[in-house]
Parts: sequence; structure tokens; C-alpha cells
Amino acid sequence: MPRPERRDITFTIDGREVTAPENTMLVDAAKLGDVEIPVFCYEPKLGNPVGACRMCLVEIEGIPKLQTGCSTPVKDGMVVHTQTDRVKEAQQGVVEFLLINHPLDCPVCDKGGECPLQDISFGWGAGTSRFIEPKRHFTKPLELSPVIAIDRERCIMCYRCVRFSQEISEDYQLVLLERGAHSYVGTFDGHPYVAPFSGNIVELCPVGALTSRPYRFRARPWDIEGAGSLCTLCPGQCNVHFTVRDDKVMRVLSRQNDGVDDGWLCDRGRFAYQAIHVDERITAPMVRDGGELREVSWERALDEAAGALRRARGSIRALAGGGATNEEAFLLEGLLASLDCTALESRPAGGPSPALAAALAHPSLQAAVPDIDYAHAVLVLDTELVDDMPILDLRVRKGVRRNGVKLAVATSRPSSLDPNAAAIARFAPGAAEAFVAALDAALLGDGSGASVDELAALAGTTAAEVGAVADLLKSAGGDEQAGDVVVVHGERATSGPRADHAAKALLNVAARLALAGREGAGLLEVPSSANGRGLREVGFAGGAELPDAPTAVYLLRTDPLRDAPDRSAWDRRLGRATTVIVHAAFLTEGVREHASVVFPAESYAEQDGTVTHPDGRIQRLRPAITLQGDNRYGWQILAELSRRLGHEAGAVLTAPQAWQRLTEALPAYAGITLDEIGGRGVRWPERNASAADEADLGPFALERPPAPLSPNGALRLGTYRTIWDAPEVEASPALRYVLGDGHVELSPVDARRLGIADGERVVVASGADSAEAVVALREAVRAGSAFVSGNALAGPGVEVRKA
Amino acid sequence: MTSVPRYAHGSRVPGWDEAVDLDKDPASVPEPATTPVPDDLRAEIEGYVARYPDRRSAAIPALWAVQRRYGWCAPEGVTQAAEVLRLTPAYLMAVATFYDMLETRPVGRNTVYVCTNISCSLCGADELLARIQREVGDDSDFNVRGFECLGACDIAPMASVNGTYVGPIALDEVPELVAQVRAGEEPLPARQLRGRASVDPGADRPAPGEAGAGA
Amino acid sequence: MSLKLLFAGIDEPGLRTIDVYRRRGGYEIAPRALEMPREALVEELKASGLRGRGGAGFSMGMKASFIPQGTMDKYLVCNADESEPGTFKDRELMFKNPHALIEGMIIGAYAAGANRAFVFIRGEYVEVADVLEAAVDEAKAAGVLGDLELWVHRGAGAYICGEETGLLDALEGKRGNPRLKPPFPANQGLYQGPTLINNVETLMTIPYILRMGASEYAKIGVENSTGTKVVSISGNVRRPGNYEIELGIPAREIIYGLAGGPPEGREVKLWFPGGSSSPVLTKDDLDIPYDFDSLAKARTMLGSGAIIVVDDSNSVVDVCLKLATFYRHESCGKCTPCREGTNWTVKMLERIHSGEATPMDLDIMASVQTRIIGNCLCVLGDAMAMPVSSMIEKFRPEFEAYMDEVRLGADAHAPLVPEGALA
Ligand SMILES: Cc1cc2nc3c(=O)[nH]c(=O)nc-3n(C[C@H](O)[C@H](O)[C@H](O)COP(=O)(O)O)c2cc1C
Ligand code: SF4
Ligand code: FES
Repeated sequence: MPRPERRDITFTIDGREVTAPENTMLVDAAKLGDVEIPVFCYEPKLGNPVGACRMCLVEIEGIPKLQTGCSTPVKDGMVVHTQTDRVKEAQQGVVEFLLINHPLDCPVCDKGGECPLQDISFGWGAGTSRFIEPKRHFTKPLELSPVIAIDRERCIMCYRCVRFSQEISEDYQLVLLERGAHSYVGTFDGHPYVAPFSGNIVELCPVGALTSRPYRFRARPWDIEGAGSLCTLCPGQCNVHFTVRDDKVMRVLSRQNDGVDDGWLCDRGRFAYQAIHVDERITAPMVRDGGELREVSWERALDEAAGALRRARGSIRALAGGGATNEEAFLLEGLLASLDCTALESRPAGGPSPALAAALAHPSLQAAVPDIDYAHAVLVLDTELVDDMPILDLRVRKGVRRNGVKLAVATSRPSSLDPNAAAIARFAPGAAEAFVAALDAALLGDGSGASVDELAALAGTTAAEVGAVADLLKSAGGDEQAGDVVVVHGERATSGPRADHAAKALLNVAARLALAGREGAGLLEVPSSANGRGLREVGFAGGAELPDAPTAVYLLRTDPLRDAPDRSAWDRRLGRATTVIVHAAFLTEGVREHASVVFPAESYAEQDGTVTHPDGRIQRLRPAITLQGDNRYGWQILAELSRRLGHEAGAVLTAPQAWQRLTEALPAYAGITLDEIGGRGVRWPERNASAADEADLGPFALERPPAPLSPNGALRLGTYRTIWDAPEVEASPALRYVLGDGHVELSPVDARRLGIADGERVVVASGADSAEAVVALREAVRAGSAFVSGNALAGPGVEVRKA
Repeated sequence: MTSVPRYAHGSRVPGWDEAVDLDKDPASVPEPATTPVPDDLRAEIEGYVARYPDRRSAAIPALWAVQRRYGWCAPEGVTQAAEVLRLTPAYLMAVATFYDMLETRPVGRNTVYVCTNISCSLCGADELLARIQREVGDDSDFNVRGFECLGACDIAPMASVNGTYVGPIALDEVPELVAQVRAGEEPLPARQLRGRASVDPGADRPAPGEAGAGA
Repeated sequence: MSLKLLFAGIDEPGLRTIDVYRRRGGYEIAPRALEMPREALVEELKASGLRGRGGAGFSMGMKASFIPQGTMDKYLVCNADESEPGTFKDRELMFKNPHALIEGMIIGAYAAGANRAFVFIRGEYVEVADVLEAAVDEAKAAGVLGDLELWVHRGAGAYICGEETGLLDALEGKRGNPRLKPPFPANQGLYQGPTLINNVETLMTIPYILRMGASEYAKIGVENSTGTKVVSISGNVRRPGNYEIELGIPAREIIYGLAGGPPEGREVKLWFPGGSSSPVLTKDDLDIPYDFDSLAKARTMLGSGAIIVVDDSNSVVDVCLKLATFYRHESCGKCTPCREGTNWTVKMLERIHSGEATPMDLDIMASVQTRIIGNCLCVLGDAMAMPVSSMIEKFRPEFEAYMDEVRLGADAHAPLVPEGALA
């Protein structure tokens, strides 16, 4: 669907002439004239207005009945009144109606002080009630989920929460039950409302009916401060408000930025803030002493690290991940360069050459998040968005639902977006390269390249599935035109030893679809770590020779035993290294077993620096709380090390100074000031497009992908990470409920053959490694594959047997 | 949690006071691999699906099918229908609780709706309902309900007995009616709507332009 | 005796079957109508003056002319929800002559340019739906439907599904909540496609109009209310039932002439002229001509054409409470004034009923009604508020006398507010 065109019109409201874009809803247009029309049910991020609460009634000349301002698009010459007696009578009526069954228990309500119902009653109500009948009373609060409490007495039936569940996250678990005055918000048969985005309903509820269980009664609105920053628990980098009381983060709210998040958060982002204030957090430097990690003074830790680095000169390998900022990466890169080390990486599974990676992320090919809203077609390739970058899952759903975006899903593991997809291709785990090559051949469509059949077979899929995706992409623009296509591709698709070939195939697809330079179209990679893009741009791009057995390993906010697919290789590598220096917040396995020096990593609420969103938007993290415990800033630690190692360029005094130096060093970021980044971020591919190097965007002649490694009669292993796979989640008491046994997802066909039932506990083994898991049968899993969460197993084949 | 006072004439609805069971899994769209659906139920629902341009339209017919099979919209049946329709069971439950005739708690299999709306009540419907309830007593085979206007005010006071409209029903006919239902017989055959002639005195003449009618 | 169209020979044995229907000339006019240019058919419908028989009384031909033409899917929906208290005409029409409805729908669908049609019938009409489904099957087998796809969709018990947009949501498999208008169904209705929605009686009248010609039909009745109307009359009358009348005859002729008036010794106290949603009239209003405009002039409406007569043995408080309780039960709950207003009104009436109210409560109740009227998402709220208002207005002395009587009768000395309560 094409983006709507904007045309300004003039209308009159309460005697004022106001100019507004045509078809804006009256309540929004009124704001442009400083007129406030009260609303309850209206929330533009939820989609079309429902007009249910009737709070926004206004008088429009020429229309006999009062109209709802939330659903009336403004037209040129409209004359609107919001202050007439009729309107006031209606507004007082609605407030009176809403309050008759409301318990008016504000003194014991968590919403008090930040409650739209209080504000609107104050502003537009009559101040009295004539309702003397007994009010309804019910048991309250009740649990709606482990993190949400519901108070049905207070609900005003605004439909916001159920619309969110039904039309935004589309989990459709939360519904209105019964009818009329008996209606209430609930779930099916006492099942809890547990879904990846459930917490948004707390923020949407305009009364105290839905409250956050972790936040209930922790603070009053006048005790708290709000601090705007980012959530860097995943590459989504949603903009957030931290609610801070006594230097503690008590809550996370969305800070709507339509370029990034549309005003939503996932439950990881909303509740894993608890990990900031848990005892398990590392808040003091540690050094391994006699085989044990012990807390030491900063001086000692810095000295040890500096000494070890000096000794390891020329044989250091560094891996960055997590929420490492651009500044931290920049300082570490400079520091290691001064020690003759360029083995810097940020893709735990390896990636294409820096040149090809830069081509994939080239400004001319770069899609922005909002492009998904109005693309003609979106291809989701080898990523499960709800796990890998949750907020984008909502974005894709929005495009499909509201604007008719055509969706193609090409993954190994069945995707939660499948029901929304117009074309689905399922390839064998690890066969993304062959799939993309097949797609390329199908898009080319003239039979001149390799045969689609053959490539599809190599990918473990069929020419029909590949063809369906190709046809959708080719003709999405109508009239057999490709139109604006956005390809959202997971980092996994271009990783591993054949990453270069996969990258070329993907560039070919982009070329066939003529995406280069096309407004509203392009590629969008979902990196495996929150600041994956920034880290690469700053220099953690692989490329250089990576020593397999370095003397020292520097781990900046990442633990490869958790994050890397080849866990055992890293286990060996870390075991052999003389020194392992890490910046970590939690004692995860790799840190516990292998670290020689541990610097406490400050949390994202404490961090000061910038990160780069997967679509090139540079965003700023601002400290919401002071450093906890004995922490220091990551940039500060690196500056200290630089000073000790005589690398003066890295001895910055402030984070902004580090940013300043980075912008001088990196043409893509040149001239971008922190002020300019502000609260919304700056997309460098838009601002500094010309700074990017010329890149070879193909098309390339592709090499025939090798036949996939045979699982030797076993099931082919696919791995995935759930949205909950993060140390912060494990450390957050509110999120304990999401932790459980790992799952192995099987097709019912294989399960029958193996005599295994759903829910059964099994052993999944691959070579010498094995793991226990609970069987989850999924009709949509292709026979012959098994999907296991986490990185305990490496494949390619796995045996599944009863435990 | 201490209990709070309730008001007899407040609108206390089953459900309002119910918390969820945190030990249950969330109820998403049922997974086909783990949700067995009886073949005939699946075939029936798929038959409804084929009538409409959109699968969801079969929601009410599917719930009817569940109710016929289980006697009410039992969670198990609703989950099965949800699997066939590729919806969440909550979606279907939201629909089921909206409509008066879809039962969301187990009920007796003989349904007697007594119309108690204005016209019928002017003709003694409230007394009729009370009389039927007394006659049925605590027989759990019955589901006797006062109902909104059933669209049969011409035979007031009336009842819909397992879907058959019967009226006017005199109070002293109630024992016979209930006995017939218990025995699985036709309820008050002489009082059934289907045998009733039009009261309009002109209804036996043909319309202009219509070939010779005549009853 | 007045002219009969829809009711002529309606009790003929076997009329439910296609054979008898055909013998009487059925399914002859539809093919002829389908040969007319669509615009000409719509003009003919307009010229007949036929107004909707479901409640709103909108010109049938006009509504058909609003349906945009084009390649998109278009729909015809027959509203057979008939849940307005006091209304049972569609039931008798469909039950006895289902093929006439089908023929009307074939023509209606052509007028709308639709090739899919649904009958949404209330779930309670089990027997009627069975008959209708059998007739549809017969019609399909006989090939009279052409390429029209027609299905009977059974509801499950909710008055609000009679409201056209609530009906559309119900038909789409959702809770039957009314939608915001605009967009109107004619533009974006079922599955977002242009949709013509008409009442059973409206659609069933079409074949009769075409047989006699629109100009002939327009001569029946009075200006602006042409044709005949099947009136359901019930309550305190001696011969309740459906009567087909010519629009414009005095109400007294229906209530007394046809239905025999209230039982011996009783008088009409109040009557609803058009279903329970219409503001009530009194015995002084019996000579009003029964047509759309005359009733509108009397600040009420013809609605679904259902007269409910309440005689002087009944209390207005009881009737008012029954009425309000019905609307509370049937409010879908989507919008505030209706959901809360109906609930509050019932609670106030319960208080009046049990003797716990004072005349001041009547003022509050009246004011609550004005806060409902015109402010709701659909007109269900108004459908309670307007008759309740009219009852308070026209029977205030009776309400007040009732309050006194119940209160004094219950305990002549009990203070309204317990002593000390205000201290
Ligand atoms: C609350 C409510 C209930 C209604 N119930 C019915 C009904 O049961 N049957 C009906 O034909 N129209 C009913 N209507 C009117 C319909 O909305 C609509 O106007 C009608 O179906 C249009 O058909 P017509 O133009 O042929 O009358 C109802 C309207 C409202 C507001
Ligand atoms: S719980 Fe809150 S958000 Fe949901 S309908 Fe009630 S008031 Fe609205
Ligand atoms: S804000 Fe307009 S109806 Fe609720």
C-alpha cells in the first residue's frame, strides 16, 4: 500500500482557525490548536478508533448529533465546538456513567496520580455523582499473569488491552467475555495471559485495572523520576523511560519512537530491568587468584589486565557483543591496535568479509524500520523475529494487518509469523545459502543460472516453495512489478564458513529486485547482539586473520559459551588462553570458568554512550541511575587501560569525548553530535550516505552451494534462542516463570517413528554432547529436523531418545 | 484474601471474581500435533468454513456444533473448534459468552426457554416460568431459563421447548408438558406454533398478480 | 376487507415447498427482473416508495442505489434477527412462505450487484431456520438461484445482532458489537465489501411490487408510507397475531378492529406502536394513522411495526422495569452511555419498585435518559431511553403514586433514610 499523501487543510475549533493534515482525527487535529478533547479508548497506536467510550463527543456544525472526535477525520472548513453546553452535558454524562461502577478507591490504587480517569474526571466531570445504588464489588486484585494483576472493579471497558492482544501482538489470548454491563476482561478457561508482549497492556490501561505486579506499590508518582534512554537487551533498541526512585530502576515504560518501536516494548525489555538490582550482579572487579575469582581493588584489576595485555601483544583476540557501546568498541579497538592486534569480531558465528558486510548494510540498500509499514512485500529470512528482535515482529504484523503488506517467510523453524504470511518456504537448518541462491535463480527466472529445482533440493526445500516466495516478491508492486520489498534477514543467514557466498547470493536477490537506491525498500539485518551493527562499523568486523589459539582473549560484554554456536571450540580456546579479560555483569559459565580478570559491566540504565540500530540509527544511552556498587563506566575502564599501556589517544576523560574522537575517525559517523542524536537518534545512512565507500553490490556469479552435511540418518539439528534467553532474564525475579526446561521441537511424524510423545523428557545427543529436553510436537516442523533451544549442541545431526 | 460483601442485586457474573491459574500454560492457537479433534466434528466445522469467504465466520456454527456434541461449550470442545478454525480458544469463548444460547457452563440437556418479555409477561409469563421451574424441581436434565422476547407474542405465554415453540401454555398444562419432555415426547402437540393458522381474516385470498391461491 | 399481498393465501398447505410456490406463480418474476438493467430495477424499487420494514424505515431503493458497483465482492444480507420485543412478523412470513423471501433475495442481490447472500436468522427460530434451509436447498436444486450463493446463518441469541453492523460482525464470526458509522455497510460492510442489508419483510415485498408494478404498489397506503405492512400485535388484546394492513389506517382499527382490543372491561393504558423501542402512546392517541410520518409527528415511530398493548390493569412501573431490564440484558457493552445507562436505569427502577425511591429519583432517571439519547455508538441505548423517557413524561403521576403506595404499604412509619445515617 502506498504511503498516504499529506495535504493540509484549515478548520475552525472553538473559534480558532487551525491548520492540520487532512483526515487527521479531530482529537489530534484539535491539539494543533491547543484544544484538548478528552479520550479514553482512543489510542492511535492501536489502529483504527473504536469509538466506544464516548468521552470525546464534540459538536460539528451541520451534523445534528454529537460526533466522536476520535473517529472523525478533519475536513477543510469544518467548524467544531468543544465548549458548548451540549458537549459539556455529554462529557459530564460519560464521566458520571464511568464512575457509577468504579470503586473510587484511589487512595489504595497504584495508578493514582498518573491516572487518566482521575485527570479527566477532574477536568471534564461534574464533580458529583447522583448514583446512590450500591456499587459492585469483587475480589481484587486477581492474577492475570505472573507479571500482571487485574482489578475488574476499576475497568472502564475501554477495549485497549484486548485490542492490543488481538490486533497488535495478535496473540488473541485476552478477550472480553460476557456482554453488556456484565462484560469483563479475561482469558480462556483460567489460562494466564502469558505472551511475549503482554506487559504493554499495563501501560495502555487508562485506569488502575491492570497493574504490573513487580511495580505495584513500589512508588508513588511524585516520588519518582523518569529518565529517557534505550533498552539494549536486543538489537531492537526500543526507546524507554526508566522510572527511577532512590537511584533504583523500578519500572520501564515505552518512550514512543515510531522510527524504532511504535511505542511498544516486549516483556524482556519491560521486566528484565530487575536484573539491575540483584545480588548476583558483579559490581566489583575480580581477578582469578589460586583458581578462584576474588574481588580486588580497581588498581589491581587494571594493573593485571594491562600487564597481561602487554605480554600478549600480537596474540590477542577480542569479541564484543551484548550492549557494548560504540564508544567502548572504539576505545578497545584503538587500544588493541596499539598492541598490534586487529582480530576483532562481533559475530560469534563468523560472518562475511567486511567488504561484503558493508555492501549488505550499504546506505543505498539499507531499509529503515518504518519502511516495513508501507512496503509492498516483506521477506523474513532465517530469523524468528519474536525471539531475535521482538519489536520488529509487531512491526511486520502491523504492516500486514493495516496496510496489506504481503509477507513471505523463509526459515527452517516454523515461524510465529507463518499465519500472516502469503508465502512460506521452509529450508533445512543451516541451508540458508542454498535457499537464497535458489531464490536468486527463481527471481532471475530465465533458466540461465543454476536450476531452481537443484538449488531448492540442496536447500532441503522445493522449487514450488521457492517459486511462491519469488512470485510474491516479483509481483508485490502490482502489474508484475516488484515494488518496494524489504528483506529482513537474520545474522545467521550470512554466517559460518560460507558466509561470503551467502552474502553474495543475498546481494543478488537485492539486485534482482532492484532494491538499490529505492526509497522505502532494501535490506535490514537482524544482528545477534544488541549493538551488532555499531560494533561492526567501529571495527569489530572480523576480516583480519583470527588466531585460533590466542594468548589473550578480550570479551567485551559477551560470553561465547552462551552466545556462540560453536560452544566447544570457544571452550577450548578460552581454556588454552593465558589470559581472559571480560566485561560482564553476571558470572555466566564462560566468565566463571575462564576469566582471569573480570571488570563489572554497568547495566544499560547506567551506561553512557551510543549504539547503532540495525537500520543505521545512532541512538544514545543516557545514565538513568548512578553507577551501582563499585562500578565504573566501560569507557572509563578502557581509558584507564589505555593510559596504563601508553595509548594516549584512548585515554579519554568523558564518554562524549570518546564519541567526538569516534566521529573524527569514522566517516559514516562524521559530524554527528550528541545533541543532534538527541532523544530520537540519527540515521547515518540518510544523513551521511555519501560517506559510505563504494561497494560492489553485485550481481555476482554464484558458486554452487555444497550439499548440506549429512546428519547420517539422525535428525537434522536446528537451533534457536528464545526471547527469554538472556542472563538478565534469568536474574529477574519477575521473569522466573519463563524459565524452564529446554525444548526439542519435533514433527509428529518423527515422534511417532521414535515412539516419543509430546511433553516427554528426552535426551538429545550430538556426537559427544548431549542435553535433556522436553518434547514439543509441532505439526509445522518438517519431518527430519529437530529444533533445540540454546547452543548446547552443534549438529549437524542429533539423536533423540527417551530419557 | 478476605472476602468482600456482595450485593444480591448487583450484577454478579460468574467470572468476575476468577483469577487465572498460573500453573496452566497460556492458551494460544491450539497446536494441531497435540490437539486431537474427532473426525466428524472436524468435517462438520470445515463444512461451515466452506460457506464463507473468511474462516472466522464459522465461529458461531462451530460453537453450535461443539454444544451439540458436548452439551455445552466445554473447554475441550472449544479448543478443538479453535484448532480447526486456527483461532485461539479465547476468541471462541469471547464469542460464546456474548450469546445467550451458547452455554458456557454445563447444563441439562432439555432446554426450556420461557419468554418473560413485556408481551408474554402481560399474559402471565412470570407465573408460567415459576410453575415450570417448580415442576422441574432439581431435575438436572433440564435447563429452564427465562428468556427475552422469543418472537412469539401471539401465543403468549409461551416457551421454546428444545427449539419447538409452544403456546399459549396454561398453568395447569405444565405437568403434562414437563412429563412429555421427560418422556422424550412432543411437547403439547396441540399448542405448537407450527400448526397455527394466521389470524388475519384476509389471509385466505390470493394476492393480485398471483395465480389462484386458496386454502 | 383490506388488500393482502404477503399474507394472501399464506396458510395454503404446502406453500413451503417449491412446487406449490411455483404453482402460484412463484419464481416467475425473478428471471424477468434479472433481465432488466440493474439501474432500471433500482429505479423501480425507488418508485415503489418501499421503506425498510426492519426499524429505520429507510427507502429500500435508495439504499440499493448507494451500493458502489465495481469488481469487488458485494453482498446481500437479509436481516432475520427479529428480536425487537413484540415483533414476530418475519417469523410467520418465513415459516409459511420461505420461497417468497428467497425470490426477493434473488432480486435484491441483483439490485445490489451481489453474488453472495446470507440470511442471518436469530438462533431461537430453530423451526423457522429448518424450514428456510430446506427451501434454500430446494431452490438450489431447482437451479433458481443462478450464480447466487445463498446461505442461512443462525445466530445464537443476542438482540444487538439485529442492528445491522452488529449483525455483520456476528456474521463475520465475532461478538456482535455494532461498528462505528461511517463507513456505512453500503460502502464497507461484510468483509469490508459493499453490502445491502434489508429486513425479511422488505425483501419479501419486492416480488409483489414487481408483479404489480411499482406505480400500482405506490398507490397503496399513503404518501411517504406506501404499500402494506404486516403488523404484529400482542399484549392485552383479544386476538393477538400478525395482520397485514394498508399503511395509514387508524391505529384504533388495528388494535380494536383487528385484534379485538383489551379484554372485557379493560381499557388501553399505553401502547408501543413500533416495538418496545418506540416511545409509548396512550389511549388518547388511538386515532393516529398508522404510518411512518404520522407516528414520527407524534414523537414516536413505526419501527418494526409491532404494537404492544398494555391495559389499565397493569402498572407502568412494571412495564418500565421489564423494558429497561431487557435493554440492560441486550446492551452489547461496547459504549459507555448504553452499558452503564441501562444498568443504572434498571437499578433506579428496582428501587422505585421496592419502594426505596422518591420523586427526585424520577428526575435523575429522566436526566440519565437524556444523557444516553444521541450519545451512544448505536441506537440501542436510545431504544431504551426514548420509551423510558416517554413513560416518565406521560405517566409521572402514576410513578409517584406507586412510590408512595409501595413505601407506605411496606412500612408506613419507616423513614426513608434510617435515623442517624446522616449524622
Ligand atoms: C438495536 C437494534 C435492533 C434491531 N433489530 C432488528 C431486527 O431484529 N430485524 C431487522 O430487520 N432490523 C433490525 N434493526 C434495524 C437494522 O439496523 C436495519 O436498519 C434494518 O435491518 C435495515 O433493513 P430495512 O431497511 O429493510 O428495514 C435493529 C436496529 C437496532 C438499532
Ligand atoms: S482493563 Fe483497563 S485497558 Fe482493559 S478494558 Fe478495562 S480499563 Fe480498558
Ligand atoms: S476516545 Fe472517542 S469514543 Fe473513546
